[in-house]
Amino acid sequence: MNEIRKEDERVKGTQEYVLLDLSHSPETGFDQFAQVVKRTFGKELFVGLWVTLREMGSTLFGKGKHTVSYPLEKMPIAPRYRAIHDMLRLLESGNYRCIGCGLCEKICISNCIAMDTKYDENQRKEVSEYTINFGRCIFCGYCAEVCPELAIVHGGRYENASEQRASFSLFEDMLKPIDMLTQQKEFDGFGAVSPNADENIKKTPLAY
Amino acid sequence: MEHKKDIKTQIQVTIDGKICNGTTNDTILKIARRNGIYIPTMCYLTKVEPIASCRMCIVDVEGVDGHILSCQERAVDGAVVHTQNSELFKQRQNIMKLYNVNHPLECGVCDKSGECDLQNKTLEYGVEVQTFQTKEPHRPVQNWGFISYDPALCIMCEKCVKVSHEITGNEALRIKMGGYKSTILNTKNDHFDSSLGESAAVCPVGALVDTSFKYSTNAWELTKIPATCSHCSSGCALSYEVKNDTIYRVTNPFEFSSLCGAGRYGFDFANRVNGKDKKAFDAGISAFKTAKTIKFSASITNEEAQILQELKNKFDYNLVCDEAYGYGEFMRAYSSTSGKSLYGGNLESLSKCEGIIVLGSRIEDDDPMVKYHITMASKRQSARVAYMHPIEDSRISNIVTQFIKYEVGSEEGVLALLLSYILSNKELPAHVSEYIKELDIGNLSAESNVGEEELEKFFKAIEKKNRFTLVIGSDIYAHPRVAHIAKLVGIIDSYSDFEIIAIPPATNALGVSLICDLDKQGVGESIGYNEIGDFTLSSQGAANLDMPALNQQEGTFTTIDKRVVATNVAISYDGYTLNDIANELGLYNKNTIDYTAKLPVSKGFMEVDFDNLRDDFDIEGNDMRGYLLASCETKKDDSLEEPAELSSFDGAMVYNCNETHYFGDATNKSKLLSSSESHTLKGSSQFAQIAKIEDGQSLRYSINDIVYERVFKIDTTLKGTIALNPTFDMGLSSSMVSSYRYNNFNIEKTNTVGAS
Repeated sequence: MNEIRKEDERVKGTQEYVLLDLSHSPETGFDQFAQVVKRTFGKELFVGLWVTLREMGSTLFGKGKHTVSYPLEKMPIAPRYRAIHDMLRLLESGNYRCIGCGLCEKICISNCIAMDTKYDENQRKEVSEYTINFGRCIFCGYCAEVCPELAIVHGGRYENASEQRASFSLFEDMLKPIDMLTQQKEFDGFGAVSPNADENIKKTPLAY
Repeated sequence: MEHKKDIKTQIQVTIDGKICNGTTNDTILKIARRNGIYIPTMCYLTKVEPIASCRMCIVDVEGVDGHILSCQERAVDGAVVHTQNSELFKQRQNIMKLYNVNHPLECGVCDKSGECDLQNKTLEYGVEVQTFQTKEPHRPVQNWGFISYDPALCIMCEKCVKVSHEITGNEALRIKMGGYKSTILNTKNDHFDSSLGESAAVCPVGALVDTSFKYSTNAWELTKIPATCSHCSSGCALSYEVKNDTIYRVTNPFEFSSLCGAGRYGFDFANRVNGKDKKAFDAGISAFKTAKTIKFSASITNEEAQILQELKNKFDYNLVCDEAYGYGEFMRAYSSTSGKSLYGGNLESLSKCEGIIVLGSRIEDDDPMVKYHITMASKRQSARVAYMHPIEDSRISNIVTQFIKYEVGSEEGVLALLLSYILSNKELPAHVSEYIKELDIGNLSAESNVGEEELEKFFKAIEKKNRFTLVIGSDIYAHPRVAHIAKLVGIIDSYSDFEIIAIPPATNALGVSLICDLDKQGVGESIGYNEIGDFTLSSQGAANLDMPALNQQEGTFTTIDKRVVATNVAISYDGYTLNDIANELGLYNKNTIDYTAKLPVSKGFMEVDFDNLRDDFDIEGNDMRGYLLASCETKKDDSLEEPAELSSFDGAMVYNCNETHYFGDATNKSKLLSSSESHTLKGSSQFAQIAKIEDGQSLRYSINDIVYERVFKIDTTLKGTIALNPTFDMGLSSSMVSSYRYNNFNIEKTNTVGAS
């Protein structure tokens, strides 16, 4: 019984259709002729023209502009957008964050990352060469996701036209310029730490 | 001690419900591994005696209280063993927690990451956090030359120490005890020893790493190319680890076999060419058409030797190989009295011996693998080792129980003496006992300067031991009386329980001497293959036509173990090869390795295709690589002669001898092995006095028509009137040493000190 009642209610529903107020179509030849005359010589044409003229005015001189003037002006990119990679620096020292662990190279599914590392004079692992072949890169974002140091991230630079592919692919080109270090924003896009990351961190037992 | 229990009884044990067979000599771990049952270990290394420092291998045996260390406990018949239960898991997990105390978490930059035992076992036992802590002392990274040591990463498993004592025998590493502060000490830090590389290879964590490899790439980026070391005749198994057509490092199956410094660090000897040089090739073909002789070094593959032999069959070339000729002569004469085409010993059997005589080889320098295996025999069975050589070698005094010095050139007399001692109290055929009876022992002893009491002492010491080996080195093969010396060796082999090892003097000297019919001397125009000829083919530069180096070729070597082992291409090569020349001259085989199955069966080779040769060790560590040469019966000819009179070697002498980890030109090319100092003539101050030269003086002298210009250095560890002259850095002439290794020292020109 219960089930049937539920079924009824669903069928009944609350359908509130609104009928459009359409005028009748002309029926005789004269009616058609009269409609043409009215539309051609009536003021509707000028109403339309006025609307266009008004919008043009407000776009050019007023506040009614709805597009961006592209090369001069760009839309803000969502943090999760995956464009050309950025190499971030440590805010304190200005050193680059990459520790040369090679995980990005390993995870890259289109095999476009190549890196070489060496033992530097400070007994640290230093990246001696790092390239991304953007002819192969599919911008999947795995490299940014796997990076344990948030060193490689996807930036917002989506204009990939260049005279040479090499213009993008060097580590130095992707690295945040040192004079723009203050403008470096902590990355909150693809592969970034979760907002509650602090809560998940366990202290190491080291007492010092 | 293990060797006393030679009578092995078959036993049966039940491990995790599976009935496993073994002998009373086997440990539980060994039986389990043989049967494919997994017992975790951290410190266990198959090739050395159990270390028992990690306690991961604990198992439960029914009826026994407490846990048992399966790595060192021998199995008892009928025992029921359990390797996995929750209690054992908890114990093992606790061990892993303790290993992880303060262990740095920077796996991202650690070289070992990806092949690290600690990483694997930590994950296996689910240790997610570091539970324990302690105050960390300051422990800086130490550079030990070829390797570097990071104490903060060290887990004190002691594998490296065990290897340096029991295998390589340099005894440099030891443990500094101190609880958590324990570290490994390098007691010989003033001398950077390349054999330490073996200690680094066995390190389960990133504490000991090759200095050159450190931080250069990640383990998982490298492609492993299984190959065989091409520097000496030991033919050790190794893998070239390659990325972007560059060899980054060399690794070896360290669980079961070892590798010396030359093999591990001398890998960058590839000959890089820019495509095919048609003009040089055509010149080469016309040179082959006019030449009457092919001279070559023995550092070639069996297949290339076969090509050369087939070319000889077709065009009647004289084949001249200085390195292998004397060895071939030795082996032929040896066969005539022993009745076997090949000697019986091998490295494995050498390491199980209790009495060893080394004759005519400076083993520390000539063949590190032989030395390693003597070290194993010395450390495990406390073998008595007699080192018979004109030059004492203080570096191996830890394994040699008796140095027996003989006069240069008196090797034949020394062998006659040995023969009489070894065969005394043995049943002998009439003509041999007659021969021994007629030997003038007193005279031989006086001439060779080997005291009878010295020999008596040694043979008394090995009286109650069993398993003996006589190791013959390369001093013998170029001796003027090599044939008769070899006959005496053959007699010893026939009528005593001594096994013989005749160390092949170059990488493939054994293979070349079997495959090629060598001629002593060349005639007319000559082709040189890795040697100087009228037209030179070379993989080492200075060539009319370039050839691939041994790490750019497929092929096989014949090793000291009489094993035919495969090597593979590590670095690409796009020039011409010897096979291209042979094809042009009318032998048709698409690839060089097509000759692998065509190696002479009559000499003991097998008709096996190259692609069917294995390159691994089985789970118990038995060498499964390639195949063993079959030893054929040969016709016996027991006629012996009196030892010949000594030709005189007086005054200052030089001995052609490369320092440890240098062999041929390939090791000279290697960047890692080359030291900043140039290679000097080394002698004692006594030598300097007799030759009337001073320390630091630069000299010009010639040996066998090869002119050397070297600085003389006094080496205080040397004694006597014999200096050591390295030959490996002489380019293509380094393999042209056809004469006896000792020569009188004739200076052509001296410069005063400082003016070089």
